[in-house]
Amino acid sequence: MQYLVDLVVSGIAVGAIYGLVAMGFALIYKATGLVNFAQGEMAMVIAYIAWTIAGTVPGHPWLVVGGALVAALLLGLVIERLIMRPMLGEPVFATVMVTIALAVILRSLVLLVWDPYPHALDIGVGRDVIHFGGTGVRSAQVAVMATLLATCAVMWAFFRFSRIGKAMRAVAADERTAQLMGISAARIHAVAWVGSSLIAGIAGIFFALIYDVSPNLYHVGLKAFPATILGGLDSVLGSGLSGVVLGVAENLAGGYLAPSLKEITGFAVIIAVLMVRPFGLFGEREIERV
Amino acid sequence: MVSRLAIILAVGLFAATAAKADQGITDTEILLGEVEPLTGPPALLGVAYNVGTKMAVAEANAAGGVAGRKLRVIVEDDGYVAARTIQSVKKLIDVDKVFALTSLSGSNGVAALPVVEKAGIPTMASIAPITPLYQPPRKNVFVVGQSYEEGMYQLVRYLARKHPGAKWGILTQNDDYGVALRAGFSHALKDGGINVVFEGEYKKGQQDFSSDILRARQAGTEVFMAGGVLAETVAMVREFEKLNSKPAIGMFWPGRVPVTLKLMGPAGEGIYAVDYVETDDSAAVKAFVERAKALVSEGEVKAINRYSLASYASTKVLIEAMRRCAKTLTWACTIAELEKTKGFETAVMGPISFGPGVRFSSQAVRIMRGDAASLTYKVTD
Amino acid sequence: MRSGHYKESVPSLIVLSDSTAVWVWGGILVLAMAMAPYFLNAYLLSFLVLILITGTGALGLHVLTGCTGLISLGHVGFLLLGAYAYAVPVAKFGAPPLIGFLSAGVVPALVSIVVGVPSLRLKGLYLAITTLAFAFIISHVVLSMSWLTNGARGLPVMRPELLGIDFESDARFAHLCLVVAVATLFAVLNIQRSRVGRAFVAVRDNDIAARTMGINLQAYKLRAFMTSAFISGIAGALFGIYLSFVSVEGFPFLMSIEALAILIVGGLGSTAGVVLGTVLIVLLPEVARIALGMLGPQAEMLFSTAAHELRTVLYGLVIILFLRFEPRGLVGVWRDVKRLWVNWPLRH
Repeated sequence: MQYLVDLVVSGIAVGAIYGLVAMGFALIYKATGLVNFAQGEMAMVIAYIAWTIAGTVPGHPWLVVGGALVAALLLGLVIERLIMRPMLGEPVFATVMVTIALAVILRSLVLLVWDPYPHALDIGVGRDVIHFGGTGVRSAQVAVMATLLATCAVMWAFFRFSRIGKAMRAVAADERTAQLMGISAARIHAVAWVGSSLIAGIAGIFFALIYDVSPNLYHVGLKAFPATILGGLDSVLGSGLSGVVLGVAENLAGGYLAPSLKEITGFAVIIAVLMVRPFGLFGEREIERV
Repeated sequence: MVSRLAIILAVGLFAATAAKADQGITDTEILLGEVEPLTGPPALLGVAYNVGTKMAVAEANAAGGVAGRKLRVIVEDDGYVAARTIQSVKKLIDVDKVFALTSLSGSNGVAALPVVEKAGIPTMASIAPITPLYQPPRKNVFVVGQSYEEGMYQLVRYLARKHPGAKWGILTQNDDYGVALRAGFSHALKDGGINVVFEGEYKKGQQDFSSDILRARQAGTEVFMAGGVLAETVAMVREFEKLNSKPAIGMFWPGRVPVTLKLMGPAGEGIYAVDYVETDDSAAVKAFVERAKALVSEGEVKAINRYSLASYASTKVLIEAMRRCAKTLTWACTIAELEKTKGFETAVMGPISFGPGVRFSSQAVRIMRGDAASLTYKVTD
Repeated sequence: MRSGHYKESVPSLIVLSDSTAVWVWGGILVLAMAMAPYFLNAYLLSFLVLILITGTGALGLHVLTGCTGLISLGHVGFLLLGAYAYAVPVAKFGAPPLIGFLSAGVVPALVSIVVGVPSLRLKGLYLAITTLAFAFIISHVVLSMSWLTNGARGLPVMRPELLGIDFESDARFAHLCLVVAVATLFAVLNIQRSRVGRAFVAVRDNDIAARTMGINLQAYKLRAFMTSAFISGIAGALFGIYLSFVSVEGFPFLMSIEALAILIVGGLGSTAGVVLGTVLIVLLPEVARIALGMLGPQAEMLFSTAAHELRTVLYGLVIILFLRFEPRGLVGVWRDVKRLWVNWPLRH
């Protein structure tokens, strides 16, 4: 029983990171209709920036987080303005390829600017182990679970109450009509990119705290894919939740079946889910009219 | 006709150094070639390996070079991708026309073996001394080091003596590296006295090991073989720390670099490692780093780790063989001289020997333990 | 010089090419490539071989993505399957290489049904990600069936002997690749002008309309999957032989992306574009290397190891710039050049 609890708790902890990254995917898909294949790479770049700040001014965890988030905001803005906006109106396929190329570039830039060695992100907190009964969890893992919940709440409120959030839903529903109603689609896209970059940044920092900063960090994007698909590409909250579901699922598969199954569990799950629901669990069904 | 002319022109351009019997030797220079990963995460070993080669070459040049000529190394990056390894080797042999190869990259170098064997160029392949590189022996391919199988075997025997009757766990990567470790483990099992309670394989690139380590603990593991490369081993150790579980943990030389201990923090104290090159606190390695400060750049000194020592020894053997050939510097002579190498001392590892039909200098391994305070590994017992 | 392009009958509309010039130049090109192995050194020859193998593989993806409009990120899975379907019977059980090549085509085609059937309901990016998932699962299955595939150890593969001809030498192997690539090119061109090919394009352009015209979507999508997998499998087998060693490591996920990049840079949906795109993408790292080298040895020393990363950055930039400024791909550039050549100084 203790074993099961341990598996589930650590599954939730890693799933919360997948969930955050997956929310980033979904936010961009909802607003712009494309999958940003560079999501994991953005998380990695922000984690490296956080590590650099932590190395330059040690002892200020809030400065590290704040600085990294400002960097995330700028990164999102720059990518949207310089790379994605000129692609407005191009076919989805081409735009998605641009994000793939962006991913390749970011991966090399990390090695160019920093180095191939793994590093620990040391901000003084997050690495200590907390024990609940027999279960050990790092404090950063507790924090990331809380952060996922908070981000979900913020997202829900954003789409429900804020003017921009409503406008984004309108663009997602019908971009043309939304524009006719006076909504600037370009601005909505910019907001989505910035938001997504911020969420990726948060995920990257937590990942770096719990594991380490390394040029492999972008794999987290690949792991979060199934979560986004499971939740439905356009369902931000669904993606967040699915991340946790997948984190637990892969831990159970690794813990009770074969350890080598752990890494492909997510992919197996999405194939099964898509057979039944081709638009994910919470995704909106696209109705085609002739 | 035009295209044919263009082709001839292109060939002429690339072959400016002209194809003589012993390529790569000009009036002033001897060219050496090296293939290794300089990009992506495996760059950790490739960059360090390159520093060792540069050191060996710089020292030889300072001592007057070989046959009155200076040595120069051309480095090719293959990113640890087999297709690029083959291309890089072909480029070094056919375009740059190097005299010898000082590295054939890691385990992906196996893919380039047919090319190298056909060319007949003297080749050292010592980054990842896996069995297919020297078994069956190839006339012109020499390997310095020790197989992962033997390293694992020695480590397991040592820990079995230290922890009689303990419950064992092992987690390895699902690639040729993991297969080699697993083979060494099975070999040690045959000697008896080892009770295995957990055996697992993880997918290359895995970052979260919570379920694997939970499983190992659940099985009651008391001695754990962490078969990760670097970050994976760190992640495993830190999962044990999280679970407040303290088995004896053993790891392998690809991870035996200071950065691993730094990442593990206090959890890395006393971790067992196995290696065939000298430890960082030995006089030989300290002297090596001192000499490096004069010969290579500051960034490169920082990049030095055990792979630099492996490369330094391997390249020194090659240069020594070339020097013994002196005026009659040919491939055949170099290979013959390499074969005659007996008990060659490099200070950074045990003496190196080859022989007729022996293309693998089997280096003795030693067991060491991590010291978290000084971030070094110390030889034990 | 022709004054225009007149199509007066159905046969002239679907003929491979009605221009003598195209046939002559095509013939010269093939002849030049057939002669090239005797003039190129091994390094340049390896680029020719890589272009031919990559081109064959890209043609496979072209049938699925370019013609039928089904985006696949699982291309590398079929390449890997093809390589193993060749290596297992030939290297492990000593079957004749011809059987190996047959199985390299047939096995991926059969597996593609397993991939294709569940994918029939999926569209666009959902499909792309499902194929990505399949690529991961295929490599997992290959690794775990070690009794058959040797698992992580991989299988060494020798150059084959086919129909009494020994393809051991680099030049001979290049010829083998050339034959396969040209045959594949013709096969794909011919598929495109057949009923099946037109149905593929109809599915791509508007699947609902295609359905109302009586095209069985399921059947044709599956057919596209199988054709694509067959061709990719053959390319995978050739790549495995080129590597002389078949292992999961030799087929990184990046190959899927590279194949898509080829289609896009060449011009999506155009067979000529596949050829042009292959040449550009395969040679790009080398061109970048030469460009960096031109900056002088000091620059190269300065970059030292960074030069390699710079090259990758350049690679990504070229793809982005192409998509941004020439979305029709190299084929679009080619058409512009041709029009300019014919009409200059007039605009039309």
